[in-house]
Amino acid sequence: MRLFKSLILFLAVSLGFSGVLQAQTAEPKRPLDIFMGVDFNYRDIFLTNNRVYDLLIYLTPGAKWNLGNGWMAAGQVLIPVVNNYGDYYKKIRPNMAVISKELYTGQKLFTKVSGGLFGRERYGLDVKSMFLVNDWFAFEAQVGLTGFCSMAVDWDASYPKRVTYLVGGDIYLKQWNTQFRGRVGRFQFADYGAIGECMRHFKHCSVGLYAQYSKDAIQEWNGGFKVVMMIPPYTRKHKKVNFRPASNFRFTYNMEADMYSNKMYTTDPEENEREGWFDRDKMKWGSNTMAPDFKTKE
Amino acid sequence: MMKKLILFFVLAFLMTLRVGAQQYTSMSGLIHVPSAEMDAEGDARIGVHYLNQHMVPDVFSYEGEKYNTFDHYVSITPFWWIEIGYTCTLLKIDKYKINKLTNKDRYFSFKLNPLREGKWWPAVAVGCNDIADSRSVKDETADGELYFANYYLAATKHVDLSGNEIGVHLSYRHYTKAYNDKWNGVVGGVTFRPEFAKNCRVIAEYTGSDINVGIDCLLLKHLLMQASLQSGKYFSGGICYTVNLF
Repeated sequence: MRLFKSLILFLAVSLGFSGVLQAQTAEPKRPLDIFMGVDFNYRDIFLTNNRVYDLLIYLTPGAKWNLGNGWMAAGQVLIPVVNNYGDYYKKIRPNMAVISKELYTGQKLFTKVSGGLFGRERYGLDVKSMFLVNDWFAFEAQVGLTGFCSMAVDWDASYPKRVTYLVGGDIYLKQWNTQFRGRVGRFQFADYGAIGECMRHFKHCSVGLYAQYSKDAIQEWNGGFKVVMMIPPYTRKHKKVNFRPASNFRFTYNMEADMYSNKMYTTDPEENEREGWFDRDKMKWGSNTMAPDFKTKE
Repeated sequence: MMKKLILFFVLAFLMTLRVGAQQYTSMSGLIHVPSAEMDAEGDARIGVHYLNQHMVPDVFSYEGEKYNTFDHYVSITPFWWIEIGYTCTLLKIDKYKINKLTNKDRYFSFKLNPLREGKWWPAVAVGCNDIADSRSVKDETADGELYFANYYLAATKHVDLSGNEIGVHLSYRHYTKAYNDKWNGVVGGVTFRPEFAKNCRVIAEYTGSDINVGIDCLLLKHLLMQASLQSGKYFSGGICYTVNLF
């Protein structure tokens, strides 16, 4: 009991009595967001069954706890609701449990350090960075040290020894809200490749085409399209605890049905190409300069 | 109750915008024939279409018999001068001995609009459907499926007659596969959009081998439906959800 009290005291002190402060301000300083999204996957294996498509649909409940000063704790669970993919995908399991910290050096250099269980069955440490050269050009880089970790069947993990990295550049044409992005690097399955994409950002939706080359894939060249839709309601109340839909639904189509090439783990349960890696209120660049998708109800 | 239902449909009919489509490919156009009309910048579509066996290439046969099929599609007009579509047509394939529409043919469509319609000149567009697949890109000697492969140059001019709109559409198109030769050459059509129902369009077209008639109609701002009779006899039709993303 004494240990429990000490723990409570520690948490209260370390969080700066957030609950007390919270009640006195209109904008909670350390809000907890609990949300629900959908992860939609389909594949086309017509020879092995009589279905037009195999489907794998997960509900993806998650939570983000904004701890202030750029700190964020996030978690997500996968709940399969439709599964034609096989037994490996049938269990309810954690998908993500991450602590991250965003760092800002002036208005130019943005860095995010993340650690924990990442999406796509990786765990370890990850650093993402973006350097804004000017209003229309930016460099970006990502490096990670991760291992395999899955609870799909039983607990299965490897030592975090794999180094992955990406370097690239972004061009943003504000007049047309159009973004070009190029990246090369070593991806999560230790494959080397490059991706180029062009994306137009609309009011609550982004649509893009991409092409990719993978040195290690059976089909070296691949491509397709991406859609990121921001999910209503677009007006949110900011309370201490917020229940809402996930911010977005994203969909990627690739022509060669390649599930493994040029893939990178995710470190945020709502990560998407429209919003990028960083807090839009801090980094006013690219699509973050558009009107925000979500407004706060007074 | 009946009056309310009629009122609902009349209002739905009137609360609409103008749009038209070569709908089975997800792109703007007539029925089977392309045109130089373009969707508005930011327009996106997702839909399904029933294709009569006479609407698809002659190689769509199973054990020697042609079959009716469906396709589904998405498209986007990211800028006023370009439309991009993706279509997936369901197939039966003889060699797999599966007498169900479980196989697919997938293709992209592109249309560019270098010249917009003016008071005295027509809109001009160039476009293509299913022009390359991954096998033929990687190996020039490979014979990809490319069932719908064609490219075209199209011109469209609209004339206003007391609030009624008449569209004249003329195209030259070329299919790359010999079994589609019947649709090659000069094709075109006429559209009529009456003043009292701007959301509807009556279409008559010549495909190179058939004369088709049809109608498309945008209901409730977002539901675009098209129904057509190929050679005046064979029905094809579909429905899509269309939305402007701005």
